[in-house]
Amino acid sequence: MSGLKTRQSFDRRILAFQIGSLLILLMLTARLIDLQWIQHEALAQQAEQNRVDIVPILPTRGEIVDDDGRGMAVNRVRFQVQMIPERVGNTNQALSALAIMLHWDADTVRRLRQRIAHARPDRPVLLDDKLPWRTVAPLAARLHHFPGINVLAGTERLYPYGAITSHLLGYLSLAQPEDIDHGAMSNELVGRSGAERSFDTQLRGKPGFRREEVDAHGRRVAVLGRTEPQMGNVLKLSIDMDVQKAAWKALGNRTGAVVVMNVHTGKLLALLSKPGFDTNHFITGLEEKEWGAWLHNPRKPLLDRAIQGAFPPASTFKLITALAGLRYHAPLASGTTECKGILKLPDRTLHCWKHVGHGRIDLRRAIYESCDIFFYKLGDQIGMADMMAEARRWGLGKRTGIDLAGEVSGHLAGARPEAKRQLWYKGETMITAIGQGETDVTPLQMARFAAALANGGLLLKPELRADTPPVVQSRVDVNPANLAFVRQAMRDVVAKIHGTAHAWLYNSPWHVAGKTGTAQVISEIQDIQGHESPVFDRHRDHAWFIGFAPFEHPQIAFAVFVEHGGHGGSAAAPIAAAVIRTLAAKEAREKKEGAPPTQAAAPLSPHA
Amino acid sequence: MNFRWRVLDLPMLICLLCLAVLGSATLYAAVHQGDIALWQRQNIHWLFGIGIFVLMCVVPLRVYALAAWPAYVIALIFLALVPMVGVVQLGARRWLNLGLFHLQPSEMMKWALMLLMAHWFASREANRLKPLSIALAFAVVPAALIFTQPDLGTTLVLLFATTAMLIASGLPWRWLAYAMILALLSAPLLWHHMHDYQRMRILSFLNPQSDPLGAGYHVIQSTIAIGSGGIFGKGYLQGTQARLHFLPEQHTDFIFGVLAEEGGLIVAMLLLVLYGILISRILIIASRAHTRFGSLVCLGIASIFLIYIGVNIGMVSGLLPVVGVPLPFISYGGSALVTMLAALGVVMRVAIESENKVPWQRPGSPLL
Repeated sequence: MSGLKTRQSFDRRILAFQIGSLLILLMLTARLIDLQWIQHEALAQQAEQNRVDIVPILPTRGEIVDDDGRGMAVNRVRFQVQMIPERVGNTNQALSALAIMLHWDADTVRRLRQRIAHARPDRPVLLDDKLPWRTVAPLAARLHHFPGINVLAGTERLYPYGAITSHLLGYLSLAQPEDIDHGAMSNELVGRSGAERSFDTQLRGKPGFRREEVDAHGRRVAVLGRTEPQMGNVLKLSIDMDVQKAAWKALGNRTGAVVVMNVHTGKLLALLSKPGFDTNHFITGLEEKEWGAWLHNPRKPLLDRAIQGAFPPASTFKLITALAGLRYHAPLASGTTECKGILKLPDRTLHCWKHVGHGRIDLRRAIYESCDIFFYKLGDQIGMADMMAEARRWGLGKRTGIDLAGEVSGHLAGARPEAKRQLWYKGETMITAIGQGETDVTPLQMARFAAALANGGLLLKPELRADTPPVVQSRVDVNPANLAFVRQAMRDVVAKIHGTAHAWLYNSPWHVAGKTGTAQVISEIQDIQGHESPVFDRHRDHAWFIGFAPFEHPQIAFAVFVEHGGHGGSAAAPIAAAVIRTLAAKEAREKKEGAPPTQAAAPLSPHA
Repeated sequence: MNFRWRVLDLPMLICLLCLAVLGSATLYAAVHQGDIALWQRQNIHWLFGIGIFVLMCVVPLRVYALAAWPAYVIALIFLALVPMVGVVQLGARRWLNLGLFHLQPSEMMKWALMLLMAHWFASREANRLKPLSIALAFAVVPAALIFTQPDLGTTLVLLFATTAMLIASGLPWRWLAYAMILALLSAPLLWHHMHDYQRMRILSFLNPQSDPLGAGYHVIQSTIAIGSGGIFGKGYLQGTQARLHFLPEQHTDFIFGVLAEEGGLIVAMLLLVLYGILISRILIIASRAHTRFGSLVCLGIASIFLIYIGVNIGMVSGLLPVVGVPLPFISYGGSALVTMLAALGVVMRVAIESENKVPWQRPGSPLL
């Protein structure tokens, strides 16, 4: 063994090994102390985040009911069938058995088979959705024969009245990223229009949470805790579905809008635009085709004509002209003139709707017989500025402030930026006096105007909710004598034999006061667009009828608008008559029973 | 044969018994929710390994010296066969299918190389260039083969074990320093020849958060497991990282995470103390050995254990890159366990043969 080092050398090496191994073990120890002592809290928190999953529990959306408590937007229990593929022995066999129970056709089964093939086997796959109980009941009873198949209950929004309340209630859709930024859950439904949108926060409620222990694959291992969701509040609207339905029925298949308002509180009893669209289709998954059909339908079902449509007020505007004439003491307001059915001006020739003329005529008769020539002259005496000031006073040409999105203001003549000028042609002022020309108003504005005439000049905020105090937006400073005069003239529209609405309302159970209007569409379209629209219907005049009832002790005011409906008396007044008949019948029934009406059953059971 | 029990190194045996109990309990915790058969199989591996341990105790030491060359040559042949007929698993060709079981020649080579080095330097000093370069060649050839499999981890373990053997064999410290400087300078070259996944591992080790769902995921989760265990642990079978499978590979390479999470710093320290005693006993046996070959074999075995422990716990606790190295006596794996028990059997044989004999060094060692 020559050449080998002595024991001292080798022992030193072994000592080096001992020290080396000790150092390595100490280094590991230091690291463990670092992780398990110094960093313990942060890492323990991370472990907790790993294992605990917070799953939101969606609250049930509050229902919307009408003034009598009838469900207008209700929740219906619906069922979902899910499959966790890895827990199903034979997927194909299970699908075949389910197909028989749930009435799937061969195509559906094929599609589901593909869906399962592409899905993660440990996660639930949605097989069928929105099933009523009677469909899933046979499956639910035999669920123990179907391992890996789950039946889950959920709710679905249902609008029992469908299109009748479409614009009023609006529709829901799944939360978008911007809604999620504002606190909505990702799979929550959010109101997109109508009352569903305006009162979304109170309807939605507050979500609850379930703390779940999950494993690394996201499987739920245990439920650690639960915070119950806070259900959405019930929203009670002031709408009376009897009135709403009566108006809908009376409109028939015509296009138009009906607004009925309580003259003392501003609460809306009906707010209707026709045609509507079935909002249930939004919930059950709207087909693009159907949406497109609505979007491109020339009758524009998606437009809420009651608040988003602005139309020339036609002869209903004569009430404004009359009030302005009385206020500014125009000579003609207390005098008379001769109507020969025609009025020649330097720049144009104007006609009265009654071509033979009304003869010698005063303001009162000019209102109830709706003489155009009288008002041309009266308007000319008042002037554009004062006439528009009067219209503004009564809330025309500006938003009413109703709690619905998308309300338009309409326009008063001269309010359009391009038309702001001091000089007006005589003819323009004259046609403005009878509600033609540039002025556009919404049916809701006209209903509020009619209510203000009935209640002595209070402009009320149109209110949808049943249980809120009325809001007076302004008090019109009007001479009570002038107001009484106009109201009497409106009564004559119905009461006098030559009144323009006499034929349709003289036998109404309540005494009605109102004013008809017939907006001439043909000339307007030709003047502005210079060509004829191919759809004949478009050329027919718009019909208006606004007013209040009962005349002696007004309760409700209304505005009826029928697009291309023809004459205001024949087209619009019967709709008001139908509304008033419904209200009067209801009042009679209440009187007889001596008690407020019991909650009538909804037309469709809300809990199917 | 007048066999006396006191020739057996009692502290080492007690240590081994403790490790067996701790290992079995930890493995049970790691697999109790899944494949419990793994735990049962590992217990059988233990019984089989103890048999091998006893067998190694009775084989005379000179037989190992005689077996050194054949073992090395066979391991080298197997290693050379891997690129041709090897089985691919997890993107690397490392295994040979021997019918009964899959053999990992690189694993075999570690021990064979250690044995050959011990044999080579039993009669030589590593402070001469010629024997040193021949010994280096013994190491570099298999290291190159293993590196191309590719298996960076085993290559590094092999090179570290070689270095340890050379130090034990009298390699001048100065030369070691030169070699280390050279190795540092050649690192960029090595980087250039690495596979993408190996680079990824090193990069994700340097910054695990850069790829939290990919390569860094393992280390982040094991670090969370260890740290969340705290000082006293979450309790046996109560570790959430382990129970809910956030901890990857928890019955093999990452089993230390289970132990540290459920047992806390206390049990983790207990494990390190047991390892410390074991290695220390092996080194004491080395210093008492009757022959230089016996000393070197013990030193080699101690080095390999130390590398396994350091690399595995270093990796699981986020100090080192992810390298597939088992935690001795704790990780699941039959061949690794049986091999390590066999190695301890050899150490015990050295202890037995040194009984009542003067160490090859003169008496009066400061370590005794």
